[in-house]
Amino acid sequence: MTAPVHRLSAAAPQVGIGWRHPHYAALLEQQPALDFIEVHSENFFAPGGAALAVLREGREHYPVSLHGVGLSLGSAAGIDPWHLDQLARLVKTIEPVRVSDHASFARGAGLHAADLLPVPMSHAALTILCANVNQVQDRLQRTIAVENLSAYMRWREADMDEPTFLNALAQRTGCQLLVDVNNIYVNALNAQRRSVTTDPLGDCMRWLDAVQPRHVAEVHLAGHVHCGDIVIDDHGSRVHEAVWTLYSHAVRRWGAVPTLIEWDTDLPDFQVLLDEAARARSTAQRSLEAAALQVANA
Amino acid sequence: MNTQALQALGAQQQALLQALLAQPGSTDAHACEERLAGFIDASQPQTARGLAVYRANGHAMAERALRSAYPVVAQLIGVDNFALLARDLWHQHPPLRGDLAQWGGALPGFLQHNAQLADVPYLSDVACTEWALHTATGAADVVPDPGSFARLAQEAPEGLALTLAPGTAVVCSAYPVASLIGAHLDATPRLDETAQRLRDGQGEHALVWRQGHRPRLQRIDPSASALVQALLAGADLPQALKAACGATHSANAFDFSAWLHAAVADAVVTGVHSLPPRVKPQKPSP
Repeated sequence: MTAPVHRLSAAAPQVGIGWRHPHYAALLEQQPALDFIEVHSENFFAPGGAALAVLREGREHYPVSLHGVGLSLGSAAGIDPWHLDQLARLVKTIEPVRVSDHASFARGAGLHAADLLPVPMSHAALTILCANVNQVQDRLQRTIAVENLSAYMRWREADMDEPTFLNALAQRTGCQLLVDVNNIYVNALNAQRRSVTTDPLGDCMRWLDAVQPRHVAEVHLAGHVHCGDIVIDDHGSRVHEAVWTLYSHAVRRWGAVPTLIEWDTDLPDFQVLLDEAARARSTAQRSLEAAALQVANA
Repeated sequence: MNTQALQALGAQQQALLQALLAQPGSTDAHACEERLAGFIDASQPQTARGLAVYRANGHAMAERALRSAYPVVAQLIGVDNFALLARDLWHQHPPLRGDLAQWGGALPGFLQHNAQLADVPYLSDVACTEWALHTATGAADVVPDPGSFARLAQEAPEGLALTLAPGTAVVCSAYPVASLIGAHLDATPRLDETAQRLRDGQGEHALVWRQGHRPRLQRIDPSASALVQALLAGADLPQALKAACGATHSANAFDFSAWLHAAVADAVVTGVHSLPPRVKPQKPSP
């Protein structure tokens, strides 16, 4: 099992971008200064062909973070053995810097919704999630990171809040946490629309403060869209200003955690992603310097 | 943690999955939503909105995944009809796995039994061929073994077989499927020629394979079709040749040498290998 990756000095964090099909050629041709690239594991499950070949080529130039969307770690129906087999083969082939998926479920009896559906923050869901994460980690012989969701519905049942749930998951299984700051903010904005909170930004900061820094392996930053009565985490625009504010807060608390710019829909020019990555690097650098100064002056 | 709590969690997860994947507006969908209402705060307006977001996301994924695998079917029936088709398939044959590239193989059968598409009877065979192309795209890579072709001159053909390219498949259709796909993807043959073949009632045998990383499609004659199908079924060379010769009514016998030359050049055949020895059926003990 590998240890969580942290840089607690004032050095900038590792920053990467999601590498999607329209940008395959641009990345390989330009080979920009990035610390890692991230791909969706399932897009490379095929045992051969062009997709896997291009990922191998990318791997020659960059460390790869394998991010899954279909493992269904929170499913009471368990992990699909076929899915785990494909992931294990890909991990062996690519030797990724990190492997991650979500604290969600999609798999049931005889069907898979191919989505990231929320699990209740309950003791039963935590038990299931821990068992499934342990199974995956045992099979892959490495630690995985588990990501918090943007959820568009809530279960009635809740025994604890989300940071408590995720801390307990990491504590019990030794897994790491992948904290998607945009997802936290989207959930808070939707809570505001339900009149549950009047201070979404403050709620998010308290959420970030509640997560144990030692568990955090990677941070995701992405865009979201306001659709009137609901806010959707669509990964289709630049990171919002409020999310940058939260990212600064997270970095001051957690140190230089590897950070990913995610963009999955309405993909922009490749340079826009690189600009966002540069902003992540400079934002983190400033936040770390400010934190170091604060400590020195204390 | 007691078993009852874990079973309850399974039931509530299944209720959400069924509510999302049931055909919208159906009796089944209403029953699923009633079951789900016991687990969520259904009175909150944002709950219904959230469920609609998940359903819309499912439909968008269905369209995207299906369009990627079936670009010609999408062209043939148009964007709006294809979107409706993708939604119907999503609800009637939902995914079984978390890799959407695996979803959509039920479309040819679904099309065959769709009364609304009865005026495009070739659609199912086109879909079947496109699924073969989609499958070939990600088939396991094979390292060509050109040195092994010497075995054809050195060894008895019994027990020898030709190694076929990744994803090789044959679709035999009463419609000009290879022409229909070629005409829509790269204008080869031309659309007017394809339409004429359709009017003339020409059937076609479509060979699908992958050359390097490029999925390929070719119209082949019945003899070559029989040969490749026999090889795919595990026949050795004499058996495959017998199938090829039996499939032609032409006065010209099947020219294996010419076919092999072209098949090697196009990387349909990548080498020669030995078949595992057959296990002879044992005589029953007296």
